[in-house]
Amino acid sequence: MDRLNEQFGQIYDQYIDKIYRFVYLKVSSQETAEDITSKVFLRGWEAFKDPKSKVKNQGAFLYQIARNAVVDHYREKGRTKTVSVDDSPEIADPGTNSQDMAILSADISVIKKGIQRLGKEYQDIIIWHYLEDMPIENIAKLVGRPAGTIRVMLHRGLNDLRDILQEA
Amino acid sequence: MAKITQEQLIESLKQLKDIKPRQEWASLLRSQILADKKVEEAIVRQPTKLAGIMNTFSSVFSPRKLAYSFAAFLFLVVGLFSFSRYAVPGDVLFPAKKAVEQSQATLTGQTAINQDVETLNSRINDLIQVASEGKTNNLPSAIDEIKTNASALTKNLKSNATNDPQTIRSIASSLKILADVPGTDLSENQDVKDLYQTVVESQIADLQKETLTDDQKNTLAQAEDLYSQGKYADALVLLMGK
Repeated sequence: MDRLNEQFGQIYDQYIDKIYRFVYLKVSSQETAEDITSKVFLRGWEAFKDPKSKVKNQGAFLYQIARNAVVDHYREKGRTKTVSVDDSPEIADPGTNSQDMAILSADISVIKKGIQRLGKEYQDIIIWHYLEDMPIENIAKLVGRPAGTIRVMLHRGLNDLRDILQEA
Repeated sequence: MAKITQEQLIESLKQLKDIKPRQEWASLLRSQILADKKVEEAIVRQPTKLAGIMNTFSSVFSPRKLAYSFAAFLFLVVGLFSFSRYAVPGDVLFPAKKAVEQSQATLTGQTAINQDVETLNSRINDLIQVASEGKTNNLPSAIDEIKTNASALTKNLKSNATNDPQTIRSIASSLKILADVPGTDLSENQDVKDLYQTVVESQIADLQKETLTDDQKNTLAQAEDLYSQGKYADALVLLMGK
C-alpha cells in the first residue's frame, strides 16, 4: 500500500495542475473546479489501487475522468457547457483598445470565456496541445481519432477562438 | 480592432498556464486521498476559512438540529418546573420552585409585601409537609427558608408607614398556623419573633384607633401587657381570638 501511495503521489504531483487547469477552463468558478478535480483524483486513486485495474496511461485516464466529470457536472446542472454571450459580462465592448489589450496580454478571464464558447470538440484538444504541450499523436490516442484529424481540428479551433475573441 | 495573429493567440493561450490550484487545497487533497479517506464528500471541496466556519456552524446548528434541541430543552424545562412544585426546601428542585413562584408573583403584579406574604405561606406549607412526612433532613432548610422570609417581610412592613389591616391579619393567620406546626416551635427565633412583634404592634395600633367594647378593651390591655413583656406570640393569639 505504501508503494502504491508513493506512486500515485507522484502521479498526483505531475497532474494536479494540469487537471485542475483543464477543468477550470471549462467551468465557471474555482470552487466548482476544485470539486470536480477532487472527484477526478479520487476516482483515479480508486482505480489505481484496484488490482483488477488495467490502466496503462494514468495521465490519459485522469483526463478522461475529468472530461466525463465536467459533462456530468453540466448535466447535473441542467445546462449546456457552451457559455452564452449573456453569460460573459467580463468581456469588454467590441472595438475598444482595452479589449485588444486584454487579448494581446492574454487576459485570462477573456481567453477563458473564449474557450468556453468554442465548440466542445475543439476545447479539449486546444487546451491539451497549447497549454499542456501534449503532442498531437498523444491527443489522437486520447480521443481515438487520427492525428491528421486532430491537426485539422486544432487549426479550425484556433480560427474559431480568434473569431470569438475578435467579435467580443 | 487589431487583427489577432495565430502566434499572438497561441502565446495568449500559453499564458493560461498561470492558472494553478490553490497550493493549500492541492496539498490537503493529496494527503486526504493518499490517507485513503472513504468519504468522498470529505475531500470534494475544501472550503475557505469562512465557508469552513459556516459549514461547521451549519452542521452543528442546522435548523433541524436547532429545532430538536430547542424542543428537547423546552420539554426538559417544562418537566423540571412541573416536578419542582412538589419540591420542599433541601430538595434539588427547590430553587426551580422558588423561581416559578417569583416569576408568577411578578407576572400577577403583586406588591412586595403581598409577594412576601404569599411566599411565607408557601414556606409554612413546605414546613408542614416536611414535618408531617418526617423529612428530618429537609427540616433545617425549611426552617431557614421561613426565617429568611420572615426577616424580609418584617423589613418590608417596617419600611411602610401604613400597612393594610387585611394584610396584617393575613400575616397573623399565617403566624398562627406556623405556631401550630408540631415539633417546630419558631416563636423564639429572632427573625420570626421580629415579625410577630411587628404584626402585634400594628394590630394594637389599629385597635387603639377603634371604638371598643369593654371586653375588647380588656383584651387589648392584656395584649399590650404581653407585648411589653416581649411575649409577642401570646399577644397575637390573644388578639386573633378577640
